[in-house]
Amino acid sequence: MATQLPVIDYEKIKKVHDAPLEEFYTSGHRTCQGCESAMVMRDFAKAAGPRTVVTGATGCMYVANTSYLTTPWIVPWMHTQLGAGGSSAVGMAAGLRALMRKGRIPKEKINVINFSGDLGAGDMGIGGISGALQTDYDLLVIMYDNESAANTDIQATGSTTYGAQTTFTPPGSKHRIMQRRWKKNVAAMLAVGHPTCRYVATASATFPALDFMNKTRKALSIGGPTFIHTFDPCPKGWDFHPRYAHELGELGVKSGIFPLYEIIDGQVVYTYDARQKGRIPVREYLEKQGRFAHLIDEDVDYIQSMVDTMWNEWDIPGVAPFKAGLSVAG
Amino acid sequence: MIKRVEVNYRGIFQKTLGKYIGGDIVQIASRMGKVAFSNGRYSDSPERNGIPCKYFAFVSPDLSEEELEAECGAKLDIDEADVSVVVDDTMVKGVEPWGWHGVRAINEKLREKGCLLVTSQHSHDQLLTFIPKQPFSWRLATVEGPASLAGLWVYKDDLTRERVLGALAAVDPGIISIEAVESYLLEKTKDKHRAEAARASYDATLRNMRVVKAGEGAEWHHEIPRLPTWKEFESGGVVVPAVPRGFTMGPRGQSRNERFLRGTTKSHRPVVRFDLCIKCTLCWYDCPDECFDPTDDGLYDVNYEVCVGCHKCAEVCPVPECIVMVDELKFDNNDSPWEHHKRDPQGYIKWAEEKKGLERIHYPHVTGTGMEIREGKFVPPKPDKGGPAAGAKA
Ligand SMILES: Cc1ncc(C[n+]2csc(CCOP(=O)(O)OP(=O)(O)O)c2C)c(N)n1
Ligand code: SF4
Ligand code: SF4
Ligand code: SF4
Ligand SMILES: [Mg+2]
Repeated sequence: MATQLPVIDYEKIKKVHDAPLEEFYTSGHRTCQGCESAMVMRDFAKAAGPRTVVTGATGCMYVANTSYLTTPWIVPWMHTQLGAGGSSAVGMAAGLRALMRKGRIPKEKINVINFSGDLGAGDMGIGGISGALQTDYDLLVIMYDNESAANTDIQATGSTTYGAQTTFTPPGSKHRIMQRRWKKNVAAMLAVGHPTCRYVATASATFPALDFMNKTRKALSIGGPTFIHTFDPCPKGWDFHPRYAHELGELGVKSGIFPLYEIIDGQVVYTYDARQKGRIPVREYLEKQGRFAHLIDEDVDYIQSMVDTMWNEWDIPGVAPFKAGLSVAG
Repeated sequence: MIKRVEVNYRGIFQKTLGKYIGGDIVQIASRMGKVAFSNGRYSDSPERNGIPCKYFAFVSPDLSEEELEAECGAKLDIDEADVSVVVDDTMVKGVEPWGWHGVRAINEKLREKGCLLVTSQHSHDQLLTFIPKQPFSWRLATVEGPASLAGLWVYKDDLTRERVLGALAAVDPGIISIEAVESYLLEKTKDKHRAEAARASYDATLRNMRVVKAGEGAEWHHEIPRLPTWKEFESGGVVVPAVPRGFTMGPRGQSRNERFLRGTTKSHRPVVRFDLCIKCTLCWYDCPDECFDPTDDGLYDVNYEVCVGCHKCAEVCPVPECIVMVDELKFDNNDSPWEHHKRDPQGYIKWAEEKKGLERIHYPHVTGTGMEIREGKFVPPKPDKGGPAAGAKA
């Protein structure tokens, strides 16, 4: 195991009192009370600063941020089609490069960021993002994962937690569990498939404090195309009181159901090492959400066993689902 | 003739309730031999937690189904309502739905002699300090109780639905009669106490209904912004001006989306005891609506114009009694609490504690699974700090 942590030259925010005070995504949006995806917008904009352009795919973070010809964005942002996040970021980065080359705009570092939801990035848009990660443009794609197609009233996606109730997966008397797919590990999948991509990370907007903002800065500083997958408790779709939005994120990380890691130049760094810090039972996370109200002990045990396997048996816990090293076919 | 009912409710938390009431009206009216249908306001979808939304029900004794639908279907909003039901009383301060811009009066659609029917624990007079006056007389009735809130996947069966139906029969029997409400509930649920709850609410409403005279009520200050029509949109894309960049320390120092503040989303607002604050940043750091303005003295002012009342700051604040959520109807302005605190530290503590009272609402994690009132306590200002705030009492 490598002992040396990879070094990225970036402007680290060391304590919360040093977090930038100015907002670049500001008040006056129509997101739900307690929306953690809105926190993701706020924090990446804050971390990236004023010299940033943003493209956003259709989804809650587009629709709820364009209330009849108004917007809470201070930095320029552009809507792009659902699933087109990766290509829109490439287009924007290519456009800026061309304008600078032709001398139409001064040469300077302009951050190009796309945000797309879990459906828009992890399901529909995965091809475009894969393409973007093979380019040499400086860009960051953020997949904000509220675990459903939230904007259209909460349909299951490839990122929805096993067992959750959604509009597509209502529990019935015959079939209690309708969401039978295991959550995709989009960040790991993209990291494994794109070895030249220098920075891939997972994050939760508000836990640990500053973590996501610093990851955003690392991603924007390291150069080339980068990717961050955030874990966003969604009070509406997960059915919990908005009061607990921060707590749910924290429980998700501490239970180990959502692993926090960075993959920097091929090296895996755990941000919150659930193996060493110990994991709280996933039940403590699940029972606080109405979308899991129909689960019985057996279901919770199953989810726990999958999480245990991920942390105890995978060769790269939380990242790569392979077990027991290499063997050679005979 | 058409009778129109609108149900004003808080998005998601009361979506099922609003839809059920609309549907019930249709079924009850149909049992009475009338033609009826109900629908939601299209522009409210997708609903977000807390956002004010509407459901409609239309009832006619003489039109055919086609005629009624032609008259009332597929409209952004209705022109006038015979009864406006309001299932969370904090909406009387005004509502700001997204596709229907500006802060609108809760009785904007109410016609002359129509009735505003509000579930509330407040008195008529208290409600009338917020509800704007009209050039004509109208009626105000209340169904006593707290707002019934639930989540997307759950319906909270606390008899609010039955009680609203009973009250509706009292305020306008031309829409549905109490006998029809009772027989519908009995037949549908085989549950006597549901019909009884409707009847009790009917009787109570007959007793508490109040005529509001022309000119009685609050002044209204919110202008209706003019929205560009579709003809003014550019082809190929829509260019929306970004919020201008701007930040200075202190109240209102951050530039914001002034055209959609949406503070009307909240049912409760955070009251901050600045003297207890340990300047940890967490309220500011964790607020998803960018409501806190950092101040030079290391505190965080709250901008109530944009606060949506999610309770998150109160939850993450590590100091007991420092941030407490308080019923929005206890406030009549959005002034900066920090400025109040600076101006008059003692007076501010007194004011804050008066607003807080001793009741602390506690919601369990899963919405719709109940609500508990716990007792709060008065934390005296720190004596060691001395200063002007030291002598204040609640
Ligand atoms: C090509 C296409 N298909 C379907 C839609 C309808 N649609 C709008 S938003 C949305 C859900 C997006 O889900 P996600 O990307 O997870 O973002 P979220 O809404 O959860 O924030 C869908 C299906 C669309 N706009 N475009
Ligand atoms: S549905 Fe979920 S993601 Fe969408 S605005 Fe509401 S809380 Fe945010
Ligand atoms: S309740 Fe607190 S955290 Fe929520 S919007 Fe208002 S100020 Fe922000
Ligand atoms: S969370 Fe509480 S203690 Fe911390 S800064 Fe805010 S008000 Fe002060
Ligand atoms: Mg989503």
